[in-house]
Amino acid sequence: MKKLFNDPETMVDDMIDGFVSACPHVRRGIRDPRIVVRRRNRKNPDKSVTLLIGNGSGHEPIAMGFVGQGLLDANVVGDVFAAPSADLVLEGIREVNGAAGTILLISRHSGDVINGRAAAMLAEEEGIEVVPLLMYDDISAAPPERRADRRGAPGTMFIYKILGAAAEAGWPLRRLTQLGEDVRERTVTLAAAVSPGISPLTGRPMFSLPDDEIYLGMGVHGEPGVGRVRMGPVRILVEEMIQRLLDDRPIAAGGRTAVIINGMGGTTMMELLTVWAETVKALSSRRVRAIAPMVGSFVTTQETGGFSISLLEPDDVMLKLWCAPSDTPAFPRIELTEECAA
Amino acid sequence: MSAEDFFRALYEAGCSRLRELNALDAAIGDGDHGSTLVRGLKHAVTAATGARAKAFMRASGGASGTLFGLVLHEIERHLDNGDDLATGLERACARICDLGEVGPGDKSMVDSLAPAAGALAEGKSLAEAVSAAEEGRDATREMRARCGRAQYVEGGGVGHLDPGAISLAMILETLARRPVP
Repeated sequence: MKKLFNDPETMVDDMIDGFVSACPHVRRGIRDPRIVVRRRNRKNPDKSVTLLIGNGSGHEPIAMGFVGQGLLDANVVGDVFAAPSADLVLEGIREVNGAAGTILLISRHSGDVINGRAAAMLAEEEGIEVVPLLMYDDISAAPPERRADRRGAPGTMFIYKILGAAAEAGWPLRRLTQLGEDVRERTVTLAAAVSPGISPLTGRPMFSLPDDEIYLGMGVHGEPGVGRVRMGPVRILVEEMIQRLLDDRPIAAGGRTAVIINGMGGTTMMELLTVWAETVKALSSRRVRAIAPMVGSFVTTQETGGFSISLLEPDDVMLKLWCAPSDTPAFPRIELTEECAA
Repeated sequence: MSAEDFFRALYEAGCSRLRELNALDAAIGDGDHGSTLVRGLKHAVTAATGARAKAFMRASGGASGTLFGLVLHEIERHLDNGDDLATGLERACARICDLGEVGPGDKSMVDSLAPAAGALAEGKSLAEAVSAAEEGRDATREMRARCGRAQYVEGGGVGHLDPGAISLAMILETLARRPVP
């Protein structure tokens, strides 16, 4: 497979070079070149809670693309598909922390949890007030009674955005943490993969799948989920996914849900918009209104073909924060689209 | 012993047992335990005072780099600042059990660390703590792994010593200046 890189040793740093020079919102951190921080409209960290996340690279634009006003204060960038080390995450915490405290977002994957929580422990030793907030939403990873064993999937973007907007509005640390947990409890995600991405490390496909099959519930690194289903019209696939999502976390008839349709990197906007249209219909037939959609490829795994559907049943405060303006390299403007609801 | 001397001695001990650690890990894991340990230690030797365990975490990488780094962090604080070793090792052990979701008897580094930390907390000498770690290490041979890659190996790795338990004992042997066998 042809990939446009110089050298495996420098591919992550080469990408960050390009990112910070292309996007005036951000620059490299002072404490370490693997930290991407806000350049403009920085918060006063003594007055506003700061937010950051560490993650393996290879999934862009998440999470460096979400550094900016109304979202993250920093992103700590690990090697390809590898969590950043605890000491590097600690440097990220030090880079943004002030008297108002810091929330370290952690998408629940083994390496991210161990390294992120260890970093928070080391920061606390230094007298830094930091709350590690675990994020998990993938319903294929564990049943509802073991929600906390689920892994992080694209529905975590609801937490990024809602906490980012609330932090910008001056919410204190405890209240923000509670808000993050509340959003987490109301969020579910299910993915469907159609074709593998190519690992930049090995040059080989990350999983294999027959041409006429779809893998339901695959994690962002190809982790196992529900299992294989027959390829068919997208209407039938989306219908099944919505049914599974609502079986997991029901939404009463007459209710509403915010939606993320996330492409995995190799699926076109043409396809994703079709998925959104079918999602609106599938929810509408259950008398649930689909509102405030985010449609596009934000959490990617190279050129993996497929998408995920994430649902958040928001309260009024969450919905307002979800739709609040932000200014980052990659986060779109979320519109309410009440008229979408049929 | 200075922290620098400790990390240098540990790096040399790791180099001398590199093949053995990798071979043991190959039997029940992915075969790179010795290499990742030595890579981390090499950077710890040349790092700035107070930043050696963190340099280890960065260079060693992965979850194991973090978990071993937490032990080395406490030893570094003990050697640099005179912080109490028993308290430090107990804290590291509690953190590893919490983060790694392991406990004694799961065939891991905790099987060496917990008895050693316990011995020190009871007021026993470092030499006695090292002996406790070595006994814990040897007991991992008959244990069945509940976590890590070893759990997926047929028999859960029974019949093999746990490489993490060996390295953890080696860390304490080096601290006690006991000749590495």
